[in-house]
Amino acid sequence: MTEILRVDQVTKTYGKRGEKQYQALKGINFAVNSGEFVAIMGASGSGKTTLLNILSTLDKPTTGNVFINHEDNSTLNANQLADFRSQQIGFIFQDFNLLENLTNRENIALPLSLRGISPRKIDPLVDKIATRLGIKEILPKYPAEVSGGQKQRVAAARALVHEPAILLADEPTGALDSKSARELLYTMADLNHNDGITTLMVTHDPFAASFASRILFIKDGKIGEQMLKNGQSRQKFYHLLIDHLDTDE
Amino acid sequence: MIWKLSVTGIKNRLKDYLVLFSGLIVASMIFYMFLSIATNPVFISKDVYGREAYLTYIFTFGIILLVIITSVYLIYANSFLLSMRKQDYGMYMMLGAKSTRIGLLIFSETLLTGFLAVLLGIILGLGLTTIVTKALVGKLGVEITHYKAILPSAIIGTLLFFVIIFLLGALSNVHKLTHTPVIDLLHEDQTPINLNHHPVLRGIEAICGVLLLAVGYYVMTLSTRYIYFLIPTALVTIIAGSFFVFNGVFTAIINYLLNKKSFSYRGINEFTLGQLKFRLQSYTKILTMISILFALALGAITVGLNFGSMKDETQKSFYYDATIVSQTPAVKKAEAKLAITNKQTYHYKEKGMHLYFNRAEFEKQPLKEIEIYFHNNQDNLPTYKVKTLVTAELDKPETAANSIFSQMVPNGIPKKIKLVSQQRWNTLNGQKKFVSYINVKDFAHDFPVIKQIQKEQLKENRNYQDIYLSSKSYNYSNMIGFTSAFEFMGFFLGIAFLTMLASTLMFKVLSGAASDKVRYQMLHEIGARPQLLRSSIRKEIGTLFTMPAILGIVDVLCGLKLFKTLLISPYHNIWIPFTIFIVLYLGYYLLTVTLYEKIVLTNK
Repeated sequence: MTEILRVDQVTKTYGKRGEKQYQALKGINFAVNSGEFVAIMGASGSGKTTLLNILSTLDKPTTGNVFINHEDNSTLNANQLADFRSQQIGFIFQDFNLLENLTNRENIALPLSLRGISPRKIDPLVDKIATRLGIKEILPKYPAEVSGGQKQRVAAARALVHEPAILLADEPTGALDSKSARELLYTMADLNHNDGITTLMVTHDPFAASFASRILFIKDGKIGEQMLKNGQSRQKFYHLLIDHLDTDE
Repeated sequence: MIWKLSVTGIKNRLKDYLVLFSGLIVASMIFYMFLSIATNPVFISKDVYGREAYLTYIFTFGIILLVIITSVYLIYANSFLLSMRKQDYGMYMMLGAKSTRIGLLIFSETLLTGFLAVLLGIILGLGLTTIVTKALVGKLGVEITHYKAILPSAIIGTLLFFVIIFLLGALSNVHKLTHTPVIDLLHEDQTPINLNHHPVLRGIEAICGVLLLAVGYYVMTLSTRYIYFLIPTALVTIIAGSFFVFNGVFTAIINYLLNKKSFSYRGINEFTLGQLKFRLQSYTKILTMISILFALALGAITVGLNFGSMKDETQKSFYYDATIVSQTPAVKKAEAKLAITNKQTYHYKEKGMHLYFNRAEFEKQPLKEIEIYFHNNQDNLPTYKVKTLVTAELDKPETAANSIFSQMVPNGIPKKIKLVSQQRWNTLNGQKKFVSYINVKDFAHDFPVIKQIQKEQLKENRNYQDIYLSSKSYNYSNMIGFTSAFEFMGFFLGIAFLTMLASTLMFKVLSGAASDKVRYQMLHEIGARPQLLRSSIRKEIGTLFTMPAILGIVDVLCGLKLFKTLLISPYHNIWIPFTIFIVLYLGYYLLTVTLYEKIVLTNK
């Protein structure tokens, strides 16, 4: 299996030298292979968001390296980082992060035009991913005119339309009702299983995490242990996860 | 506690506050400067020639316009202040602060900001007024001697005006905030805006807009005899037309570009267009107002500077540039400095009540003059034609040639002019004198030297006084006195308008920056290069600045027709005011872009 993401001895310290410092990440190591669905679980303040910001190149580690598709992103300048994000990474955020002044179609098209794809080819690609995610009918509408669940599907379409190396999801179900959350997670699992989309999801929700094939637990800035699904059913994996969390407490 | 929170809130937004504060300072500076110029009693009565009632009317009109634009400007500055603090206030209220206490807090903050800004503005205004007056005096060749920079009545006027406006602003802020539900204060930037509008309705609006503008522009070309009908009609049609054009035509253009995928799917063009479409909803009114103010400001500068063209007209109505009757070393020295293109010298002998000229000299170099033809239609300017004076008529009483020539020779009016043959002239006794008529390459350029020659000749030759009063340089100098005050006023009024209209647009753009920040953050996250974001901002704000400017320029170009009876040639040298204006406007645009980028492009 090809390695898509490798995190090597990553630390992150806040505060200037000589002042009171706070270490949010204390030497993180892990790798994600192509086609994997990995969840990172942790409580508030465990370093989840810091880690995700570093993985998505929005923030730089104090020490250590992050490789996506074997490329070390610590050596890139601002423009290269932007290009890197637009080509290699797809994002799904908790609060959708859709541009409310663009229609859903225009929102989904954005990563393609950012990559300089020929305008003629953009609409067919948008239609393809929208059909895959079942949101073709709402393409001409504005984000404010659709439901939360549909918004998150539009966000997922935008994250996947340019076929990134990895999909990063930050609490994707955080702002959804349970029905929409369930639907989205099934879609993500389906995309991972059938389309081979490598996914890394950060969450504190055991239900969401149970859709992953591997779960990494982050606590006090360190990755402790991991749980593997190993072919078990999602329900079983979920119960094991709950038990694990109970014993952990 | 709440006061401590307020101070911390302001500290956190110090940069934004400084923007607001400097804008307010500039506004009060300009207001003071204008008020002190317009109400300078000694300046008006001593430096400005003309009927006082007419001048008072013009100055009052100017002040009224300034009050209107400053008020509008302050309303926007105030809304910028409110938009900065809204979320903080919402937060305090959510935490349980009583609305009366918050009201008091808002009231004090607004009033204090305004008061401090106007106080600083006046102090800086005193210095600025002195500097600008001096610079203008030098630049325009304006003759102003009775101008006073420190004028207590202007200080009190400025202070009172700003405090009253801010008091009203503070009350309206209190009312707005205490009547808005806390939840809306906290999530104001997330309120959805309806972007779907009926395309047919938009089309009708666009057509109406263009038609109304056409009517407004056409009306201004009609004869100025109906001026009382023209101005209100033009004003109503152009304001309504501009509104519909912004709402209809510009939205249609943006929609067209958005649908043209080969354009919108390049880079982040679709985002830029989306932003513009989004903005136009709430910008229609302000853009209309700005285009009208743009026209007024540019018009004021153009018309003001155009009064200078009256000087050119004075130049045209005289054939000869200078008359020389003395041979003193000082006059000779000055004459040598002139770029002379033509010199006609005539010798004469003064004997008793007669001035004897040598006819041969006139036959060789006939005298010329300018004949002015007035037209029946008052909208057209007079035309000027060069005419040769018939030599045979020069000494014939009651002919036009004789009357003109008499005013061109010292003692020509009390004495009689006689033209005699060369032989006769040689045998005549009497004081031998001469008179030379000169044309120079560039009268305006040589004017100071000509003025000096006149002065020397006046000292030396008392009789020269008679022809001096009907000379080109005397009339030209008078015209400078008359027009320079208007140039000065137009220029100041124009600059004051420009400063405020551009700042109003700036505040409107900046007050939305806080909510726009989220969108730029999103684009940054999905991989838009910083350069691409900057270029999108430049395009977007550039369009917002350009749209009213285009309409404003067209308004001025058409509106200048109204001045064709007052001004000799309203379109003369029009590039000068346009260039000054556009350069300043561009400066504001760049400032807005820089400040906006500072707010929206700072990453989390």
